[in-house]
Amino acid sequence: MASLGELERTVMDRLWQAEGPVSAATLRDELADRGLALTTVHTVLTRLEQKGFVVHDDARPRRFSPRASREEHAAELMHEVLGQAGDRQAVLARFVGGVDEDEARLLRELLAGG
Amino acid sequence: MLPVTAAALAVLAALLAWPVPAWLGRARWPRRDPLVALLCWQAIGLAGGLSIIGALLVHGLAPWGHSLPEAWWAWVRRHPAEEVVRGDHWVAMTLAAVLALQLLGVLALSWWRTARTRRRHRDMLELVVQPAAAPDTRLLEHPAPVAFCIPGAQPLLVLSSGMVAELDDAELAAVVAHERAHLREHHHLLLLPFVAWEAALPVLPAAGRAHAAVRELVEMRADDVALEVVDGPDPRRTLAQAIVAAVGGAGGAEVPRGALAVTGGAVRARVVRLLEPPAPLPPAGRAAALVCAGLLLLLPTALLLLPAL
Repeated sequence: MASLGELERTVMDRLWQAEGPVSAATLRDELADRGLALTTVHTVLTRLEQKGFVVHDDARPRRFSPRASREEHAAELMHEVLGQAGDRQAVLARFVGGVDEDEARLLRELLAGG
Repeated sequence: MLPVTAAALAVLAALLAWPVPAWLGRARWPRRDPLVALLCWQAIGLAGGLSIIGALLVHGLAPWGHSLPEAWWAWVRRHPAEEVVRGDHWVAMTLAAVLALQLLGVLALSWWRTARTRRRHRDMLELVVQPAAAPDTRLLEHPAPVAFCIPGAQPLLVLSSGMVAELDDAELAAVVAHERAHLREHHHLLLLPFVAWEAALPVLPAAGRAHAAVRELVEMRADDVALEVVDGPDPRRTLAQAIVAAVGGAGGAEVPRGALAVTGGAVRARVVRLLEPPAPLPPAGRAAALVCAGLLLLLPTALLLLPAL
């Protein structure tokens, strides 16, 4: 049995590949090799919606689409990690903080001279 | 004779609010032994909070008894005071309660906000990124050279593709070892009290100074731990190269403006320390520092709990 996290990733991958909004039934059919029940697909979609990765439209049955592209999510995460806007404490353990151009040159000289 | 205790605690609080953090922040020895220095900072933070709140509480409760536990118990049981209760006693008690609540509140709030942010980051990583070879490591597609870790029950270590492109294998191993050291030694917990102090008392310059110093020491400590596992002829140079490469990487232009020029001095101190390692602290020096840290904690505790002379 695949873990919920892995199922979420699989569903997200499908949604990102899809041309447009997809219904839960279509997702189940596309993932037929996994033998998922429709309720399982719905559970996964609900979780993804709560986490803010998926939105649905008002059609009946509802159709789901990703809120943002994979690249947009990566960029958003990076922006929070690099910027001061995010919670400083959450990303405390960044390998090196940003430095300005002069400081970077000084560090390179330090390394070359050492 | 509680006023003597209150005065002693107030003096201690004043020392810990300014001269002591200023001295430790300026001292050269912490970079020789970041771990011992981190313990000293924890003692300063804890003893500082204890003595400020303790001084106010002891003064406020003085009319009710001869020691804090005794006076506290009498006050809780609504016993009549043994001496006249003046307005300044009530003011001191109120201030103590406000300060204690604010410190604990800020601590709880920053814990909660941090946990929420980390959960969101982890969710995002789990979905956006395929697991790498190591179960706790993720590779994020992004040109800026960045490495960071997300502490928690299931810690995650994240490297950007820009970082991987910028560094050779040995340097990359050094970066990973550095981040793992943060996670293993729970450095985020060492920082938490200082985040709370700074947020609770923004007017206290020592709070910001202490926070910055602890941040820098945590990085130095992680460097030290990383050096133990980095292979190659010159691990110090490898790690220094990794730091400089990460700082001046090709993706530097992608870094938001707000993040620049904040950590310049701290990064330089790390690189200098790696290239020209200072002599480690002698055992006697270590022991002295640790004893001082222990006494610093013991003093306010004893003043608070023992009956006044």
